[in-house]
Amino acid sequence: MSDALAKLLRHPALWRGGSVGDAPATVSTGFRRLDERLPGGGWPLRTLTELLVASAGIGEIRLLLPALCALSAATPGEPRWIAWLAPPHLPYAPALVDAGLDPARMLVIQPRAGLDRLWAMEQALRSGACAAVLGWAGAAGDPALRRLKLAAEEGGSPGFLFRPPSHREESSPAALRVVLTARDAGLDVEILKSRGGRPARIDRLLIH
Amino acid sequence: MLEGRPATTTPAPATHRPALELVPRQPAGATGSSARELWLAAHFPRLPLEALLPMAAHGRAAAVTATDDPRRPIVACNERAARQGIAPGISLNAALALVPGIRLEERRLASEAALLDRLARWALQFTPVVSVEAPATVLAEVRGSLDLFGGAMALCRRALAGLQASGLQASLAIAPTPRGALWLARAGLAMTVTRADAMPGLAARLPLACLQWPEDTVATLAGLGIQSVADLLRLPRAGFAARFGPRLLDELDEGVGRCREPRRRHVVPERFDEQLELPAAAGTAAELQPALGRLLQNLDAFLRARASGISAVRVDLRHRGHPPTRIRLGLARLACDMGHLRELLRERLAQCRLPAPVVILRLRSGVLLPLALRDASLFERGRSADPEATARLLDRLRARLGRQAVFGVCPVPEHRPERAWRIAEPGGTTPLPGPWPVMRPARPLWMLAEPQLFDDWDGALVSGPERIETGWWDGHDVRRDYYVALTRAGVRLWIFRERPPGQGWFLHGIFG
Repeated sequence: MSDALAKLLRHPALWRGGSVGDAPATVSTGFRRLDERLPGGGWPLRTLTELLVASAGIGEIRLLLPALCALSAATPGEPRWIAWLAPPHLPYAPALVDAGLDPARMLVIQPRAGLDRLWAMEQALRSGACAAVLGWAGAAGDPALRRLKLAAEEGGSPGFLFRPPSHREESSPAALRVVLTARDAGLDVEILKSRGGRPARIDRLLIH
Repeated sequence: MLEGRPATTTPAPATHRPALELVPRQPAGATGSSARELWLAAHFPRLPLEALLPMAAHGRAAAVTATDDPRRPIVACNERAARQGIAPGISLNAALALVPGIRLEERRLASEAALLDRLARWALQFTPVVSVEAPATVLAEVRGSLDLFGGAMALCRRALAGLQASGLQASLAIAPTPRGALWLARAGLAMTVTRADAMPGLAARLPLACLQWPEDTVATLAGLGIQSVADLLRLPRAGFAARFGPRLLDELDEGVGRCREPRRRHVVPERFDEQLELPAAAGTAAELQPALGRLLQNLDAFLRARASGISAVRVDLRHRGHPPTRIRLGLARLACDMGHLRELLRERLAQCRLPAPVVILRLRSGVLLPLALRDASLFERGRSADPEATARLLDRLRARLGRQAVFGVCPVPEHRPERAWRIAEPGGTTPLPGPWPVMRPARPLWMLAEPQLFDDWDGALVSGPERIETGWWDGHDVRRDYYVALTRAGVRLWIFRERPPGQGWFLHGIFG
């Protein structure tokens, strides 16, 4: 890079996408290859992350497990809740123990109506009582997602929203959007959008 | 103090009083002075039974046993059992030998205390000064109420009739001192003693048992040949105090009226209960909000003045020509924040269907609890970042989604996968001591509620089998070979085959 270009880049009037404000608060994903590609080096905290999963069960929870363990144990003596909102199946307590999570801090919420899911997720995010909120919501419009993001920012909890990949082409206010696809016993992670970062693709992340 | 008491009975320095006279000191013919206080004692000898089996008085033989003694002695029995030879004090085995079909219950002190509390509240109809003497007596100072009820005898009859109507066996007595009345009632002497100085005269009829002193003390006294309170009063004071302690001497003095006994008054716990007639009948939940807001404001002031919080509220909505709609709201934690309460009630009101317009709104609190005591258990455990935030979240979610929609999970030490966990109250489970022994292959993060028949699957077995064969003792035995399978879509599944191989594959979990 020439001196002239470096000088130009230091100009205060110049605004670069890669260095917006401070580095966002993050928690390491536990996967080095993924951390390298994410702005701040991990899952963003205090905001909404959207995970577009091709088919449920391909490893989307195992991808989050290291971060969940770190989050729930972040403040010694004061672990917070991990809320599971309308999960497709019940989280299995012995497996949670194996993974290093305290099952006593799990909060499973199973609303009957679809609208209640978004409401409950917003409440959980806004309350500040949760270390992380995992939510499964099918149809959610842009205003609903915006509300969730605001609630996450207000409550200081990271929200992870799992949706089918059919929503890929829709716009979303989520700070991070990731598409997960299974391939050869590994997981392809495609970063669609990340605030302060750039789209990227991590092939065959081994999560088993 | 008591009036007209002869000077000789004044407690003098103990060393100068070799013995106490027990006969009334009043010269014959002199009129006894009437007491300044009169205490009604109601003793319930069958309280342990009545607290557990309210209707057992006339049924088949029934008895309650103590739990703190390996012999499990009987503490109370009903009429039928008593006729067949059961009596308090005999052991459980003896009772079963006497009456093989006897109904036996274990004593529950909490329900006895609750019943005694109810009885104390009942006694408040006679006088505002009511005191509870555990375990089974209620005392009431009725001197001022005698004229209203037509004298001591009439009052006693009335009280007894009321108690008998509720199926309670009671022994009632009136005496000038609370402890004197207590002795009489325990001894089963249904007397109304109104003279201030009459208690020493009755002492000969009071057995030692009515004092309810410690067993070894009573045994020692019995060994000295002492059988009644009168014998006790004859003992030298200094020696008695030195041998049995000053407290028992005080009790004697209190009983015969030589010194006054301070008693703790029974106070009925306060509750908030207010209702508001709506200016116009409200047809929707939204129209109820202003009135509810006013009631909550009053509740707020009420709680603030008492530095208390509540853990439950009830709202009754009265309609014209319809039974009232009742809403009960339990809270995850002690609340004194009306904003939170208003929000929860709004959710609940929005859900309930009103059969008709509401004309009267009534708000009642549960028992008030002192706020200083709140969160003791949560803080001690120190497991939550902000207990307030957690409680608010739980309350809010449950108010709208229902109680069952919000829960936690808890592992259970068990080999059968479907029984190795259970649903638990959020955060209510205690953490396991030490790490869970991971001696087995990995378990899936997602569990299906029921194993599903799973024949048409496309993929390969990755690992297995893990044989789980157990549970034959409770009829839910499991004989399975578990495998981990990877489908073509990249989903890792936990599937099993029954042993011996039969129906085919079942899907039980997804590794997620």
